[in-house]
Amino acid sequence: MKRATLTASLVVGLLVGSCDPVKDNAIDALPGNAPGVRNGPLHRPGQPCLLCHDGALGDPQAFSMAGTVFQDANSLTPLDGAIITLLSADGSTVTATTNAAGNFYLSADQYTPHYPVHVKSIVSGTTSIFMQSHIGGNGSCAGCHVDPAGPDSPGHVYFDIVGTPP
Amino acid sequence: MSRARLVVPFAVSCAILIAVACSSPPPDARFVETTPDTTTFPAVAAMLIQSCGTLDCHGTVGRNLRLYGDTGLRASALDVPSVLIPTTPDEIAQDYDSVVGLEPEIMSQVVASHGANPQSLTFYRKPRGLESHKGGTVINAGDARDVCITTWLGGHADATACKDALALP
Repeated sequence: MKRATLTASLVVGLLVGSCDPVKDNAIDALPGNAPGVRNGPLHRPGQPCLLCHDGALGDPQAFSMAGTVFQDANSLTPLDGAIITLLSADGSTVTATTNAAGNFYLSADQYTPHYPVHVKSIVSGTTSIFMQSHIGGNGSCAGCHVDPAGPDSPGHVYFDIVGTPP
Repeated sequence: MSRARLVVPFAVSCAILIAVACSSPPPDARFVETTPDTTTFPAVAAMLIQSCGTLDCHGTVGRNLRLYGDTGLRASALDVPSVLIPTTPDEIAQDYDSVVGLEPEIMSQVVASHGANPQSLTFYRKPRGLESHKGGTVINAGDARDVCITTWLGGHADATACKDALALP
């Protein structure tokens, strides 16, 4: 009886302790899965992955770095097979490859970033680009790369540097 | 000891405390600030924008130390980060106000003493790792960033150090 009470108290405490209304509101404000797409590697391209993939109790697998690469600035056509190389402040590098949705992700088990992290390169075919500024602490690309582009956002991550942001 | 002998000192102490607590500067009082150099600040700003002003750190409108710049938050509604439009004079001016306005009295003391005791500034303590900082230790003692900032606080920023700081990881 005592053990059951203790366990119940612990569960309630953990649930209450994990409540973050700001984060919950941010998640609620995101569009859901596209029709026909289930939760998984191809879902929700362009959204701030780490909002949900944070390793909190009941949440999906924790990511340390994740995002989406699109083909160009003016559309949301995903870029499949792009290789992203990240350079941590400690000098270590790690790579990830985008899937058919343009998504890439590194789990917290695979990679522990030492900030600031530089996007050393995004390679597709024979072309390579890099990110001008570093990542200071947000492992979600879409934490900063939000559409539409404006004074506080460069817009979504895109590969083709020809053209102008939407 | 009688109750009266306790009550009287207690009441007097309370009166003194209340009088001191409720005192305020005269309404026309002004703090005369000694501000850091503006002529060499653009080199400092370039270093700050690069090392601190990313969109997920101090390039955010909600931060007390808010930094504008070419690769981060833009001051003009018409500008976009990282589209090869250089940091504007208006952005540099706003960065200056942001840095100086964080702790103006302490900044004034540091500048008036020609850069002595920069550790009294939160702006310096946090990136040096002397105080909790979400962005970790960004400046190490004696490195180019350190020299850039401390020379600026001391009078004029060392342009070479500020330029070298841009090459630091």
